[in-house]
Amino acid sequence: MTQEGIAVEDKATELEEAGRRDFMRLFGGVLGGGGIALVAAALLPEAAAVADKPDIPGYDWNKHHWSFGVDATKCIGCLRCVEACKVENNVPKDPHHFRTWVERYVTLEGEEKTHIDSQHDPVNIEAAGADGKYRFANRYKDAKVDKAFFVPKLCNHCTHPACVQVCPVGATYKTEDGAVLIDHTMCIGCQYCVQACPYGARFFNEEIQATDKCTWCYHRITKGLNPACVEVCPVSARVFGDRNDKQSPISIFLRNNRVTVLRPESGNAPNVFYVGIDKEVS
Amino acid sequence: MPKHITRLLLVIVLAAVLAYVGKQWLTVESFYRFGHYRGNSVAEIASDKPKYATPKSCETCHAAKYAEWSRGVHNNPEQGKVVKCEVCHGAAGGRDKNPNGYNSATGAEHPKNLKLEIPADTVRQCTLCHEQMPGRPLQQKQIVVATHAGTQQCKVCHNVHSPRTFVGALASTSKPGNPAAGKAIAADCAACHGKLGISEDASIPSLAGQTEIYLADAIKAYKKGLRKDETMMSMAKDLSDSASENLAAYFASLTCKSAQDGETPAAARGQVLAKKCASCHGENGISKQAMWPSLAGLSKPYLEKALKSYKAERKNGMMNNIAKNMSDADMADLASYYANVACR
Repeated sequence: MTQEGIAVEDKATELEEAGRRDFMRLFGGVLGGGGIALVAAALLPEAAAVADKPDIPGYDWNKHHWSFGVDATKCIGCLRCVEACKVENNVPKDPHHFRTWVERYVTLEGEEKTHIDSQHDPVNIEAAGADGKYRFANRYKDAKVDKAFFVPKLCNHCTHPACVQVCPVGATYKTEDGAVLIDHTMCIGCQYCVQACPYGARFFNEEIQATDKCTWCYHRITKGLNPACVEVCPVSARVFGDRNDKQSPISIFLRNNRVTVLRPESGNAPNVFYVGIDKEVS
Repeated sequence: MPKHITRLLLVIVLAAVLAYVGKQWLTVESFYRFGHYRGNSVAEIASDKPKYATPKSCETCHAAKYAEWSRGVHNNPEQGKVVKCEVCHGAAGGRDKNPNGYNSATGAEHPKNLKLEIPADTVRQCTLCHEQMPGRPLQQKQIVVATHAGTQQCKVCHNVHSPRTFVGALASTSKPGNPAAGKAIAADCAACHGKLGISEDASIPSLAGQTEIYLADAIKAYKKGLRKDETMMSMAKDLSDSASENLAAYFASLTCKSAQDGETPAAARGQVLAKKCASCHGENGISKQAMWPSLAGLSKPYLEKALKSYKAERKNGMMNNIAKNMSDADMADLASYYANVACR
């Protein structure tokens, strides 16, 4: 602005000045008032959500904090959890869609590389014999095995889930009690979340045309039951419970064990805690 | 107010109203109820019907099987080893309706119509957990099928609901008897089995200190003709079940005496073989289970005869399998070993 221009403005009449002020006041008032109303409108449901809860009979999600434990030193690789999960949750029976799975880590003598296979490995599919049946082939029985162990895997129901962050339609979310769920009716099948998950826990379910994942059997835990995989595990390698209850299996598990999580560096803060896994597991 | 300002305000208000109406119209019900998602979906997901029930729900109709299982090794909560009903039989509360599913429902859900799976191939079923495999933790009981059972099904020897209890043992209905009442009847046995149950004739077994249920079962088996021996069959034919049990209780209460024939080298060879017998007949041949006989201190000729009879004609699913792979020399060595160990 030029010197002259400033001089001109300085000479503005009181009337003009007053008109501008009035306008600013009026406009500011409208904007401000509207803004407050908008903010209030936006905030009110949030504030209400603290006390509000979904209409689940006999269940208040504000009173629970679910977590899952896996003791890999106990897992025998029987895959009963995998079969039970498929039945309980109507997961496609083919050997390529899993909400939970078990990995086998085998290091042979004199080798540095670890052999990793899961139930969807062709050799294991053949050993299983039929869709919906799963078993690990005894493929290392004659090999010189230096070290071998099984690791059950499932959705980690992270505290900061990357999958939820990337969903463009609000089809997946974190519940108050700790589960990460998918609303299949909202899912558009873009599979951004499948890409975002650092653990490969999500898959696209062609039968329902939506992305699918472990829910910790939300329909069971809200009725006081254990997830199906925990229910059938014959060796208690899987532990589940409410961390608000200090005597629940998971609270005891976390108290009595030094636990780790998968890929802590990803910043997702998993809620599935592992005991007895090795450096190869991620 | 200048005209253009009014118009601008109008446009702003109109846009705001349109945006608000549009959002109300386009947003599904309950979307922002808890956050950036459809709030009602939580309750919808939670409303699914569980398919896996609990063993307690099986107990309502299958109490006997439940009792068998709940007392057995497959229900050991202290060690965290609990193989629940549905681990082997599949979900009880309704199955997958997927037509391609291997266990599609054939009717309404169990218990109305749907039959649960009864694994026919127990070898396949049991080895899911018990096949020896690298990666399985040591505390898990594991077998190599070829050397453990060959082509036999697991259920031939094991009660599938309580695997450590063997099939033959489970069949026993004998109850503990009254030793005092048995003593009166025992006089009839003394001629062959000895006055205090210690036999003088090596081909006839001593009964003193033998396990009680086994003795009672043996007498009953002779009575019914399931065990064949002319003398014993005629002796047992008039004994009632309770008399058999009392008699068994009396002999079980007596003090045993080991045969001790002093054949040390044979006994040493037999000791190696005997390791396989220990799971039923006890460490050193003293059975911890009342339904299986103790072998410690029995005479060599009797034990040898018994083993040979299992290899030949005598029926016993468990013993037939064991005896069929034994040579005569093995039998002699094993008999020597048991004849020479202390019986208590």
